[in-house]
Amino acid sequence: MSAATDTHVSAAPRGFLRRLLASPSGAIGLVIVLLLILCAVFAEALAPYDPNKMGAGARFLPPGRDHPLGTDEFGRDMFSRILFGSRITLLIGAVAVGMSLTIGMAVGMIAAFRRGWIEAILMRSTDVLFSFTETLIALSFVAVLGPSLQNAVIAVGVAGIPFYARTCYAAALVETSKPYFEASIAAGAGPARLVLVHLLPNVLPTMIVVATLGVSTAILAAAGLSFLGLGAQPPTSEWGYMLAGSRDYINRAPWLMTIPGIAIAVTVLGFNLLGDGLRTSLDPVERK
Amino acid sequence: MSALLSVKDLSVSLGTKTLVEGISFDLAPGQVLSIVGESGSGKSMTAKALMGLLPPKATARGVAMFDGQDLLAPGAEPPRGTGIGLIFQEPMTALTPVLTIGLQLTEALESHGLCDTDDARGRAVAMLDRVGIPQPEARMRQYPHELSGGMRQRVVIAMMMLLGPRVLIADEPTTALDVTVQAQILDLLREIVTETRIGLILITHDMGVVAEMADHVLVMKSGQAEEFGPTETVFAAPKAPFTRTLLDAVPRIDDAASRAEVASDTLLQARDITKTFRSRGTLLRRDDGQRALDNVSLDVRRGETLALVGESGSGKTTLGRVIARLTDADSGRILLDGTDLTKLSGRALQAQRRAVQMVFQDPYASLDPRLTVGRTIAEPMIIHESLSKAERLHRVDRLLQKVGLSGDMALRYPHEFSGGQRQRIAIARAIAAQPTVVIADEPTSALDVSIQARVLDLLDDLKQSEDLTMLFISHDLAVVRQIADRVAVMRNGRILELGPSARLFAAPKHPYTRALIDVAPVPDPTRKRGKRPVLQGDYPVGPLTQTAPDHWVAA
Amino acid sequence: MWRFLGTRLAMGALTIWITTILVTLLIHAVPGDPVQIMYAQSQGTTPEQIEDVRRSLGLDRPIPVQYALYIERLLQGDLGNTIRGGQPVLEVIMQRLPNTLLLACTAMFIAILIGVPIGFLAAYREGSFADIALMMVAIAGISMPHFWLGLMLLFFFALELGWLPVSGNGWLNLILPALTLGLSNAAIFARLTRSSMIDVMSQDYVQTAFAKGLPKALVLRRHVLRAGLLPVVTMMGLQFAFMMGGAIVVENIFSWNGVGRMAVEAIFQRDYPIIQGFILTFSVVVVVVAIAIDALYAVLDPRIRRS
Repeated sequence: MSAATDTHVSAAPRGFLRRLLASPSGAIGLVIVLLLILCAVFAEALAPYDPNKMGAGARFLPPGRDHPLGTDEFGRDMFSRILFGSRITLLIGAVAVGMSLTIGMAVGMIAAFRRGWIEAILMRSTDVLFSFTETLIALSFVAVLGPSLQNAVIAVGVAGIPFYARTCYAAALVETSKPYFEASIAAGAGPARLVLVHLLPNVLPTMIVVATLGVSTAILAAAGLSFLGLGAQPPTSEWGYMLAGSRDYINRAPWLMTIPGIAIAVTVLGFNLLGDGLRTSLDPVERK
Repeated sequence: MSALLSVKDLSVSLGTKTLVEGISFDLAPGQVLSIVGESGSGKSMTAKALMGLLPPKATARGVAMFDGQDLLAPGAEPPRGTGIGLIFQEPMTALTPVLTIGLQLTEALESHGLCDTDDARGRAVAMLDRVGIPQPEARMRQYPHELSGGMRQRVVIAMMMLLGPRVLIADEPTTALDVTVQAQILDLLREIVTETRIGLILITHDMGVVAEMADHVLVMKSGQAEEFGPTETVFAAPKAPFTRTLLDAVPRIDDAASRAEVASDTLLQARDITKTFRSRGTLLRRDDGQRALDNVSLDVRRGETLALVGESGSGKTTLGRVIARLTDADSGRILLDGTDLTKLSGRALQAQRRAVQMVFQDPYASLDPRLTVGRTIAEPMIIHESLSKAERLHRVDRLLQKVGLSGDMALRYPHEFSGGQRQRIAIARAIAAQPTVVIADEPTSALDVSIQARVLDLLDDLKQSEDLTMLFISHDLAVVRQIADRVAVMRNGRILELGPSARLFAAPKHPYTRALIDVAPVPDPTRKRGKRPVLQGDYPVGPLTQTAPDHWVAA
Repeated sequence: MWRFLGTRLAMGALTIWITTILVTLLIHAVPGDPVQIMYAQSQGTTPEQIEDVRRSLGLDRPIPVQYALYIERLLQGDLGNTIRGGQPVLEVIMQRLPNTLLLACTAMFIAILIGVPIGFLAAYREGSFADIALMMVAIAGISMPHFWLGLMLLFFFALELGWLPVSGNGWLNLILPALTLGLSNAAIFARLTRSSMIDVMSQDYVQTAFAKGLPKALVLRRHVLRAGLLPVVTMMGLQFAFMMGGAIVVENIFSWNGVGRMAVEAIFQRDYPIIQGFILTFSVVVVVVAIAIDALYAVLDPRIRRS
């Protein structure tokens, strides 16, 4: 018997990078994020001044030749501050999302895999926390721990857990009910094998997309806290904090307001676009 | 008689891809034309082209004359609804969920200006009554989700017939329905054609439906017409090789494939299995749930193929899953070679599991998309045996060959394979565990007929060569007849009849079994039947009693 | 439908109950002595005064007793007094809550009014230049921090053009904060509406409606819009919660006298009774709105209404 006749193999490209770059949002997003990473890594080499050095130039210099993005109320070089700010921003995003993602995924996968009362307790409490909204959780944490950049990051990280737990739970539930998963159970696979070999790799693509988009949310939330004075403290060159400081000089030096704002918006846009691009390129091209 | 609809050289293309090429046919009033083909043959595209409902980027060429108008001419507006009606496959999604049945029936009458509101209501109620919907007045105020699939399909038919079309296109109108409901809908369509003298284009993949319904048949393959002619001629003397293949592949319920009776000892015993599915109740109210299995007992003999047959909701799949310990029963025992499977848990259960393997319906979800085919097949060996890598690779290679694939496919990923190939891989994985029992749950229902036949042959061959016992779950009696030694007919969580395949099909004892066999479409146009009796009222569901050696019927 | 609403009601009650527990525990989670921290900024507080406060807050009792006392007072409508000024917390919150609700509701209105039609239009012209352009604008809108958008609007409309007042609590003052909050959320509504409409347009029932020969406008208005808006309605509860969260920041930019601004001040001043009261109020508002939206959804969707 030959099976050659029922072959209509769909030649799906496995190189997902190629698919990512083929989508405009993915390509633009990837470029923005890579540029940001370069800025953050080589901030020392790229920055013309120490970001916290007062009087690097005169106060309130508009963007010009010596100071491409001008200077602030202490005569600090804005370009250098923005460069170093990218380091802080990426770190905030990575740490906060890393925290929400690991804990959220653990909760979601355990709930979907164990079922029964463990599932009920985990997911009910996740629902309750989720309805608190991330803002309130983050604010409560800062209220308890006190304002600081570190606390703001922890607050944003904790606040994100319910969302990641729910998303992961939903994705894991879909996978555990698929025949391939049941076939593996029927083959006698134990919990470790089921979770590590089958569940995790199949949930991961979804979670990577969600986490990429989540970096945007986390950066926005942390910048918001810093803007309110509840996050980064002086003299940190954190973008949200820089924006807050610009309010007093809004008439005199509007670039102090526009530049950090653009920096945040472009960063967040980069991760949003990358996330969108990843979503389309990671989608398994199973059926037509 | 002049043609209602005359199609010449119809082609549909999407960009540079040609989906349908050079289709021609004529349809006369009061006639049924069947367009038959496998998935991807372009039969649905043909219908959509005639309705002017192609996807935005697809274009149609050719001539389709209807009522003096060329439907395919540039800028032509097909007389949708009033001239040509269209019925989709899936009744569950064919009605807008947020609008009442009444509104959906009357809106087109009013919009076409065929009558005023009061008149439209009256006509709609009368039409609902005509298509066999009880209490039509009350139905008008109901929403689609409150009706069953069969009822919804009747509503869709009523909706289209209200507008008085002269041609009706039905795209797989019964594929999503149970066989007994399918028979009723087909009867209804035939009555409508006779009464109103409309032309019906019936798109289907099922040669049985073609034989029972069609006056003419158009066989399609890969977007091209393979054959067109009167149904009886095509079935009696097919000209195209593809038509021949298609006809040969169709399993026939009236086919007396003789199977040697297996008389041997009992391998697997299911005793008093009960299972109720509860949706999550609230704090205030308890959900009584749906009883999927009601005190079911069943013996499976070593080396036989026992088929569980029934319509949706019969409990056949649940019974299979309970035996495989993928679903836990509320009560009852499963004895395999004397071991009570329901008593096992943890590692003992994991170790015992290899004895019972499953093959699932959906070939696309059956394989882990992130693992190579080789790793999927090797999984049972990795879990239960300590083999060297070389030995394992060798075994995978042999298994692939056994299921009709080649060994070098082990390194590829599931998405590189077709549905039929994936099902072969799933079978290889089941065999890799060296099981004693294989439970195949509708293993060929998602496949095209030509592929179905070969997968069935493979299962049957492997059963012999690997000394397997098979539990074969299916809704399709014709398929069951091909492969089963014994058959258990199930409905609403109970077994109604159990007996040797040959005897059960030749002389069914239970009225439900008789009805099931009666409504199954037979791919033989010379056996065209009249309206079939519909199973109504009470039938015995009591305990099984023996009526003949080896034959039990619910009393 | 009653079962659906009953479940939602029970979840809401559970949420509020858990909030009360967390709020009681909150003060104990503070590193160090909360009373000391509260008074750290004011000079010349005697140890006796500190003990007085500790007693009046009930912090000298075991935690379960504290919780019981808290609930008892809560049921009498007593949320305690502010540390600074000694006013009843409930009164302080009730003065400001209407302002926040006004802001959030206006913003929600703006977001829906702008977002839903844009999303519908983009879905209707899926893949066209207009669709791509609109969605680019939407993704840029989502990426723009609303505190920055607020500052920009403030700069142009209040300072440069002088059309609107910079701060205060009149009707004119509502425009900028509501616009700030509304515009960023309009982008979310637009994306949501678009994907929901695209999903509905590919459904069989829309094809069936066309097959009946209904005019396109009728199909879109009756079949697509009604079914496609349901998922948007379900998301409105969550969106309102976002609005409430966003209001905290926006109130601070425009000095809008709402509970968000009050809460941020209280965090700086370590005024824990206000913080506790704020958290509780916030979650009650969010829960009540969510239940109201669920009720609306249950009425709109016959699959739930008639089950």
